[in-house]
Amino acid sequence: MADAPKLVNLTVDGKAITAPAGTLLIDACKNAGIEIPSFCYYPGLSVQGACRMCLVKIEKMPKLQTSCTTVVGEGMVVTTENDEIHQARKSMLELVLANHPLDCPVCDAGGQCELQDMTFTYGAAESKFVDIKNHRDEQQWSPVVYFDRPRCILCYRCVRVCGEGMDVWALGIQQRGVSSVIAPNMEDHLECEECGMCIDICPVGALTSGAYRYKTRPWEMNHVATVCTHCGDGCVTTLGVRRSDTGMEIMRGDNRDKSGINGDFLCIKGRYAFDFSKEPERITVPLIRRNSKLEPATWEAAFELIASKLKEVRDRDGGQAIGVIGSNRTTNEENYLLQKFARLVLATNNIDHHRTADYPGFVSALAGTQNMTASMRDVASAPAILLIGNDPTEQHPLLAWQIRNNVRLNKARLYTVNSNQIKLRRQSTVFHLISAGSEGAFAQFLVGNDSAASSVGDPQALNSLRDKLRGEQGLVIAFGSEIRGEHIKPLVQFAQSVGAKLICLGDYANSRGAADMGLYPDLLPGYYPVSQLTGSKDEDWMGKAPKQPGLTLQEMFSAAAGGRLRALYVVGSNPVARYNLDPFALKNTFTVVQDMFLTETATLADVVLPAANAYEKGGTFTNTCGDLQRLQKAGDVTTVKSDFEIIVRIANAMGYDVHGLVPFAPGLRADMGQTRGAESGEADRHKVWLTRQGIEPKLSPFDPLALLDEIQRLVPGYEVSRLNLMAGNDQHTQVPDIGSGELPSHPELIVPSEDTLFTSGTLGRYSKTLNSVMENDRAVPEDAGIPAD
Amino acid sequence: MPILKNIAAIAKGMSITLKEMFAPTVVENYPDGPGPLKGAKFQERFRGVHVLQRDENGLEKCVACFLCAAACPSNCIYIEAAENTAENRISGAERYAKVYNIDYNRCIFCGYCVEACPTDAITHGHGFELATFNASNLVYRKEQLLAPMPAHLGANAVFNKAEIDKGMPALTS
Ligand code: SF4
Ligand code: SF4
Ligand code: SF4
Ligand code: SF4
Ligand code: SF4
Ligand code: FES
Repeated sequence: MADAPKLVNLTVDGKAITAPAGTLLIDACKNAGIEIPSFCYYPGLSVQGACRMCLVKIEKMPKLQTSCTTVVGEGMVVTTENDEIHQARKSMLELVLANHPLDCPVCDAGGQCELQDMTFTYGAAESKFVDIKNHRDEQQWSPVVYFDRPRCILCYRCVRVCGEGMDVWALGIQQRGVSSVIAPNMEDHLECEECGMCIDICPVGALTSGAYRYKTRPWEMNHVATVCTHCGDGCVTTLGVRRSDTGMEIMRGDNRDKSGINGDFLCIKGRYAFDFSKEPERITVPLIRRNSKLEPATWEAAFELIASKLKEVRDRDGGQAIGVIGSNRTTNEENYLLQKFARLVLATNNIDHHRTADYPGFVSALAGTQNMTASMRDVASAPAILLIGNDPTEQHPLLAWQIRNNVRLNKARLYTVNSNQIKLRRQSTVFHLISAGSEGAFAQFLVGNDSAASSVGDPQALNSLRDKLRGEQGLVIAFGSEIRGEHIKPLVQFAQSVGAKLICLGDYANSRGAADMGLYPDLLPGYYPVSQLTGSKDEDWMGKAPKQPGLTLQEMFSAAAGGRLRALYVVGSNPVARYNLDPFALKNTFTVVQDMFLTETATLADVVLPAANAYEKGGTFTNTCGDLQRLQKAGDVTTVKSDFEIIVRIANAMGYDVHGLVPFAPGLRADMGQTRGAESGEADRHKVWLTRQGIEPKLSPFDPLALLDEIQRLVPGYEVSRLNLMAGNDQHTQVPDIGSGELPSHPELIVPSEDTLFTSGTLGRYSKTLNSVMENDRAVPEDAGIPAD
Repeated sequence: MPILKNIAAIAKGMSITLKEMFAPTVVENYPDGPGPLKGAKFQERFRGVHVLQRDENGLEKCVACFLCAAACPSNCIYIEAAENTAENRISGAERYAKVYNIDYNRCIFCGYCVEACPTDAITHGHGFELATFNASNLVYRKEQLLAPMPAHLGANAVFNKAEIDKGMPALTS
């Protein structure tokens, strides 16, 4: 750790403040609560000094100075607001507005425009120019990026965020001075990562989003902060929603308030790919197979049929004749409920999901250790990062953003070991290209097995890399699914020896949650093996679960083909396409599929139930690092149900007392005397408050938060601060310490999703935006000879 | 004399009645008066049912900026915006109101919307006979609120008689 920088004292507007040496004056003032207006200055980007809005008076300096380019000095006396400064800023605004079209009524930025706000503040509404303004037609640069040149105020934020922040360098400046023009890399269009960061960061409406353009206005929407449903990084995306004919429609996604681990970052998927929810192909009513055709039916008929069939199979052939497949994109509460339903109601351990990372193996390897997992926030501040396998730019865009910015802003050292020339090599202190499939051997090499080096690559280079890594303090190691099974253990050993923390990268939004919540045939929530449950957990419902490990996903399909699996319940998953399984296996199996679309698996089903997606329900997700975050209901389609409700209703239709699944009870948690207002006829203010805080009174069996209590009680590592969680903060969960012994991990069953920046499993297939940009070949920055920042 | 007193009182009362009988009428003779307005007379600034105006090219003035909806204290304006295209040009700017409803169950005729409109698209007209037996009839759609096309561009020659009298060609569609 470097020594803390020296503090300097200065006076701003008569107030004495201190700031670390080297701080920009504008930052120092902001930290002291004094806001200085700015356009071109943006925290975390390089200094531009283009707009001159941040002018301040510094004593002993002639003329006004730009506070975004001035570093604090000992004894500085600064004035941030007086008549002279006011007048200077007003004149700057008049110049900015000289060719501005002032078409606020149609501009997308209207209502949240920094130029509007500034003009209001400084009253620069009058134009002193009589010349006709220079008009240019709006240009479409890509399916998601539009540019309206006259509105641009040349702050260059877009250019910098694209280059420095995204390392894409797709935007540039043509010409000089007042005639400068922002231009895309392909002359008249963009080929880039389509992240939309440039649109978001634009202080005015010069860059606008193809998805949101001209649709509505900021104040017409409700803004709901929830978690992105695509990759496993868990960005918070704030969805703007508006009433529509069918419920609530999602109009846009962004994260301008910088809440959440991602700050204002979102990749194309988090920002635009919510459009699957309004795809016309979406199923909105239950379908039942009659005469070998799926026909619309009522929910009641569907529940009745499912319940009678499942009961019949369970009572006749036993629970082992029923299989359940869960999802990587349903909430923790739903996953927990699903496995509880399988184990208690269906009396089976045949439950599995699409595995994208070896979490049981990770937990086994971490046995006996403490605090050895890193959170997504740690990645942004760690002094050094080791990345083994995976391509975060494509598969974990937020992780890549954190790494890039950590390297750029904090001079963190990035060590990359990969079998491909991944883009993050540009930020790497050391990039080591290894032969494909030798990531595991590299892990062995790290713990001193020198003979493993020969299969990895050049031993000398590897040795020097290992020496460097051994010298790193506070290292964070992120590894992809290339490392699994027996190879995780050496990596953990190495991490222990240098005091490093680890991240095991899983692919989908709640892959980690699905693992933690026990969507395994042999593991209960919290990675308790079904066969050897010990201690107090036995007294809880877990003691009533079958003790015999069940079938894995692949085994279920072969059992179905062999006629031994008579019923299959698939929640939000498409195993037939994902594992390329034989569709005929399900011919004689009663199959229920809960999904948004008629996927390859759903078309084979006997009953298809329309499910809500993650943007349409509450609950929690655990990201790939183990950060627990809260989901809030944003969109709504009135005719579909959440997976949670569907499972409870099926259990109910089967005659099971749902209190045994969801601990809900009137009067108990809901009303500890607080709600008396309602009885006396007043508005139930406590209930309103509780609901607003997300601490809903638990009166409903469909309330996922009722189950969160149980999860927090029974799943080790999930005992995080409930208040913080409900306030929307990410809470890092610890991996349960299983003591000694090995968990069954089946590394051979792991199938990486292989999603790219522009694909996202089934959801991606039904997202028009993602499909529209997929044809774009991205330009590799090297081709243009641009060095990494 | 009580009788005299009574007669005097009646005479006094009748004299007021007779005086008023011959005074000019001050109330309006609505709805029995002449003309399309049935005798109703308006101050020019009377705030009645809204009219969504068109520009001189017949394009809608409303650009769906939602400012009227934001200003409306009774929250009765509902708008859906859409983008103009070369083939389907509705308003003069990039955006137009695909749906524009005013719910007259709720409107209080305060005029804030008119005040807020940056393009002078929404104005108060003089329509006031809104009564209906069905409340859902009171949600007026854009088609009901829009001003007719200017006569020289087509429809509604009657309405634009004044313009035609001034020499505009009256095209009929
Ligand atoms: S959308 Fe494209 S141009 Fe804009 S910041 Fe992202 S990568 Fe750069
Ligand atoms: S397009 Fe927007 S962000 Fe880029 S320079 Fe212009 S005003 Fe700034
Ligand atoms: S990085 Fe991942 S979580 Fe974040 S917006 Fe993109 S897909 Fe969503
Ligand atoms: S007149 Fe007043 S109440 Fe009526 S629509 Fe306009 S703003 Fe709303
Ligand atoms: S009527 Fe006027 S204020 Fe209302 S949306 Fe249209 S342009 Fe905007
Ligand atoms: S913010 Fe300082 S010059 Fe723009």
